[in-house]
Amino acid sequence: MKAPWRWFLGGVAAALAVLLLVLIFMAYQMPELLLDWANISYCG
Amino acid sequence: MNTTATHWRTPTLILIVGCIILTLSMGVRHTAGLFLQPMTADHGWSRETFSFAIALQNLVWGLASPFAGALADRHGAGRTVLGAALLYVLGLVLMAQAGSPLTFDLSAGVLVGLGLSGTTFAVIMGVIGRHTTPAKRSLALGIASAGGSFGQFAVLPVGQMLISTYGWQSALVLLAAGVGLIAPLAWALADGHKPAAAAGQSVGEALREAGGERSFHYLFWGYFVCGFQTAFIMLHLPSYLVDSGLSANIGMTAVALIGLFNIFGSFIFGWGGGRYSKKNLLVLIYALRAVAILVFMLLPMSTASAWAFAAVMGLLWLGTVPLTNGLVAQIFGLRYMSMLTGVVFLGHQLGSFLGAWLGGRIFDETGAYFLAWALAVGLSLLATLCSWPIDEKPLARSAAAA
Repeated sequence: MKAPWRWFLGGVAAALAVLLLVLIFMAYQMPELLLDWANISYCG
Repeated sequence: MNTTATHWRTPTLILIVGCIILTLSMGVRHTAGLFLQPMTADHGWSRETFSFAIALQNLVWGLASPFAGALADRHGAGRTVLGAALLYVLGLVLMAQAGSPLTFDLSAGVLVGLGLSGTTFAVIMGVIGRHTTPAKRSLALGIASAGGSFGQFAVLPVGQMLISTYGWQSALVLLAAGVGLIAPLAWALADGHKPAAAAGQSVGEALREAGGERSFHYLFWGYFVCGFQTAFIMLHLPSYLVDSGLSANIGMTAVALIGLFNIFGSFIFGWGGGRYSKKNLLVLIYALRAVAILVFMLLPMSTASAWAFAAVMGLLWLGTVPLTNGLVAQIFGLRYMSMLTGVVFLGHQLGSFLGAWLGGRIFDETGAYFLAWALAVGLSLLATLCSWPIDEKPLARSAAAA
């Protein structure tokens, strides 16, 4: 694979990874998860 | 490096498969707490009944890790991971059907604990360590550790979504199906690898040799402190923040920040371990943890200070994993790496148990977490002092293997 393509695909993969992490981070703001926090804090 | 594995089992493939297994295994385990409320409500159990099984799971996980590691060292990681994955799946399915506290203890506690011992760090780090060169080993262990961290971060919201959508029983079966994916992946780890340098050494001799080395004890107690701090902070930080006048939402975001920064921290310290002294990086992690906790205690509580503390602790969270496992491989060689890292991990789990329990006990006795935070700082300083004299040089016997 040529170097420019390698950089391009690497950049796309990195951007998708960041997007995935942001989406997961946002998922932590779900009210249901928030309500159930007591469960997690109780038993690890 | 392995010379007997088939050609398609490249180090890169083994690393990717190891990461996926750790993501699934650590991630599903992290959702256990989400089932407390629905299960106790449906069965009419007390919270103590539920939490006892999870505490049992943590202890079984730690106690079984050296044995799972020894099995992997003797019979190969593939078979060990396969067997453990099946136990893990069986444990989750039986957990969904458990009608009494005893069957719940046996499924969620014993079976899932045994499953975890064979599908997490001791076994997976061992097989990854054996398939990488000393120059790249620490980075590879860091990437694998980041995989486990990603699982903890990512699967928790998925678990909650499954419970909300399908109910807790179906959610457990679906999570079991996810863990079941580990079984076919185990084939890629079936390397049948037996490094030659320490071939003449028995399990007992390897344990006696490690037990006779001060550095091994320092690693054990350092990991004990790591377990104490991470369990205490993960369990009690949100409550502490709420007690300090912040909202539960801020506590939840703090947990998410720990998970997010943990991914980067695991990778960075794994990468750093390949370039710098692993022992010095461990000293740095434990010293920075002490400073971070101390500054957090001294500064006035605010949203910014809570989130900054969570981000810093996240960076320092599982950075100890690639460094500690890498040091075991570096000092004692690869032949019994899984078993010896399993023994050190037992220290981590004992610390976790104590950190989780003692944090609550101190709060109940004194009405505040101050003493527990002070203990976390003191232990961090102790771990810093313990890590400083670690001798990183390979033992003369294992020098060729490492």
